Amino acid sequence: MGQRKRVNVQSPVPCPSETQPFSPHTHSSTEIPHHTHAFNTSGHHGYLQSGKHSICMVSDFFYPNMGGVESHIYQLSQCLIEKGHKVVIATHAYGERRGVRYLNNGLKVYYLPLQVMYNQSTATTCFHSLPLLRCVFVRERITVVHAHSSFSAMAHDALFHAKTMGLNTVFTDHSLFGFADLSSVLTNKLLTVSLCDTNHIVCVSYTSKENTVLRAALNPDIVSVIPNAVDPTDFTPDPSCRDSSKITIVVVSRLVYRKGIDLLGGIIPELCAKHPDLCFLIGGEGPKRLVLEEVREKYQLHDRVRLLGALDHKDVRDVLVQGHIFLNTSLTEAFCMAIVEGASCGLQVVSTRVGGIPEVLPDELVTLCEPTVSSLCVGLEKVIARQRAGKVPSPAAIHRQVQTLYTWRNVAERTEKVYDHACRQPVLPLPARLRRLRSHCGAVAGSIFSFVAVINFLFLLFLQWLFPNHLIDVAVDASGPGGRWGRGFGKEESKDPIVARCAVEDTRRLKC
Amino acid sequence: MGADSDAGASPAVPWRKVLYERQPFPDNYVDRRFLEELRRNIRVRRYSYWAVVRETGLVSQQLSCVALFLTLWSYMEQGNVGPLTLLWTGLGCSVLGYTLYEALGGGIDRERTRCADLQSAAVFMAFTFGFSPVLKTLTESVSTDTVYAMSAGMLIAHLASFPYTQPSLPGSLSLNAALFASVCLASRLPGTLHTFAMLSCALLVFALWPCLLQRLRHTAEWTFPWAAGMVCVCGVVGVGTLWPAGALLLFLALVILTLVCPLLLVRLQRHKDNIHGPWDEAEISDDLSRFLS
Repeated sequence: MGQRKRVNVQSPVPCPSETQPFSPHTHSSTEIPHHTHAFNTSGHHGYLQSGKHSICMVSDFFYPNMGGVESHIYQLSQCLIEKGHKVVIATHAYGERRGVRYLNNGLKVYYLPLQVMYNQSTATTCFHSLPLLRCVFVRERITVVHAHSSFSAMAHDALFHAKTMGLNTVFTDHSLFGFADLSSVLTNKLLTVSLCDTNHIVCVSYTSKENTVLRAALNPDIVSVIPNAVDPTDFTPDPSCRDSSKITIVVVSRLVYRKGIDLLGGIIPELCAKHPDLCFLIGGEGPKRLVLEEVREKYQLHDRVRLLGALDHKDVRDVLVQGHIFLNTSLTEAFCMAIVEGASCGLQVVSTRVGGIPEVLPDELVTLCEPTVSSLCVGLEKVIARQRAGKVPSPAAIHRQVQTLYTWRNVAERTEKVYDHACRQPVLPLPARLRRLRSHCGAVAGSIFSFVAVINFLFLLFLQWLFPNHLIDVAVDASGPGGRWGRGFGKEESKDPIVARCAVEDTRRLKC
Repeated sequence: MGADSDAGASPAVPWRKVLYERQPFPDNYVDRRFLEELRRNIRVRRYSYWAVVRETGLVSQQLSCVALFLTLWSYMEQGNVGPLTLLWTGLGCSVLGYTLYEALGGGIDRERTRCADLQSAAVFMAFTFGFSPVLKTLTESVSTDTVYAMSAGMLIAHLASFPYTQPSLPGSLSLNAALFASVCLASRLPGTLHTFAMLSCALLVFALWPCLLQRLRHTAEWTFPWAAGMVCVCGVVGVGTLWPAGALLLFLALVILTLVCPLLLVRLQRHKDNIHGPWDEAEISDDLSRFLS
């Protein structure tokens, strides 16, 4: 909940196509061929010469789903477009949201009709998504494929296909994973296979980098650390919303085990008994809500523990500014955006010392505790005492300190360098790729996936014979060096009649 | 800050593992302190060979119990042992066992009176006796092969689901599987009294003996290996009187279970490579139920 994404941030241009209906058959080759001639001037080489990239972000997780990954992809794409790159996003269809949609500033999103298997992640067969993804990559003249999240099967599929097609690949890992149980052994093996020939990997914190390097047995030099960011203009303090007669602790999080809600269920009665003027404000929904409700019932704390239920992202700030202290009880976290959002709203932050959290905020902005009820209570009481004594910096001062720490522009700048670097790397040809797989992933898994890679390659050859590349229509660039967004793209009153007609036809075909 | 910045120029400031500061290092910089928080095998237990052998004694004796029970059944079926002999022996054993059980649990406060114990035993016996004609004819319509296959399956299930972890009483699944197998086998015996005797014997072996064994292990630890060893010897000898080759097989199985498997465990433990670090999900160590009870 703390990392809900925003759709209309940072760009003053309204989102014109968000609500328009559209058809499921989108990237079909029914477009009029003269597009190809009108816009085919900048091929792969054109992008490289201009120093700009044509990037395809692939992940199962994107808007309308909400979370850290979704927000990351959207914000990063917007900033890359601002820097002159062309960005398209490929994700799977979300219910009726199928086909192609445009978001702000010509950010084009392909909602591909792939079957969702579990937890919003698609099923993978290593092959079935190749025709669709190849179509997207060829149509959009992609030079870099950037896959997100190790939980996303589609991201791994895209990496696999991109390597078969000879495209440069970048992968961002957003989560931490253990090594202890059978499921993690299997997922880590798959990650090893997926990342062994990926050009560059990005992690969101140093802890995450260590984790990924170990899980996928990587050379640490090809792993960069680029933190997430928070838009400080979304999270501004407003001390007037606080109730100064009491001290409010805010928790905004999904109410699930991994967020340590059981710990919260222990903290609430402990602290409420000691401090009569303390109250809790809890935003978010999840299975562990029951625990909190039980605690509230048992200790008769209905007036002091308010459960707000699921929050929209736009409401998160309004909840945060009502509190004095922000509490995060996560048991594992690669990079905790929630505590940055809390600090950005001028709250005192108390958090567990797990995963990458110690790297996120300087010591004067956060109080770190061990993930136990007693340690968190001690930490909270220290902050409560400071709050009562008035020894805490003003919310505005905290906000000023936080607002420069993490910005999406900085993230985009650093990611751009990763792309530059990745594009200078060679994409392994098939024989080298097979050797790498076999030497890197063990004899059994290596041989199996070498076989899969060969089949994938043959399948690609078959597809190229069936629909040759030069017959696939090239899409109109909405963003990037030749971007038409705001220059007659989707607007009737363009100067150039051909551009206007093509653009209108293209948009109509893709969206309506 | 980029992936490809000049890593050659070594800056004067040391690298810190923080994200909130812009540091003069490239994003893919790898410091000497990389992975310094990695811990290996922090929760791996070092086993001593003989301790493991002792623990596997429980598994071996349970296997021997099953063998012993099958031997008794076989004798009954062939008519070498009469039901009355078995019943009197069983009664003797249970009185002996009960006395031992009581003597060992002297310090523990009893929740039940002895009268209640006697009462449940009487009720149980009475019902088993009353129902033994029914149980005798229960599987008449089922072919003997099926009955044997079913008993074999159930006894294997009993062995697999027996709660070997300490301390434990026979779990409901394992006990039920064993009793089901006993009913199946007992129904193939020649008379109703045979059936009754066999079922009482099954209760003795599968329900009461594990309780006594657990108490032995709990209060007088030194007796446990002797008790387990004795059961094993009885099992092998018992099978030996009927089927020498089977006795050899059982003996080999017991040797592998008690001596070879622990050796394997201790040996393989050396190859264990478990890694831990700050990325591990924290475990909640508090007892949180106290807040809700």
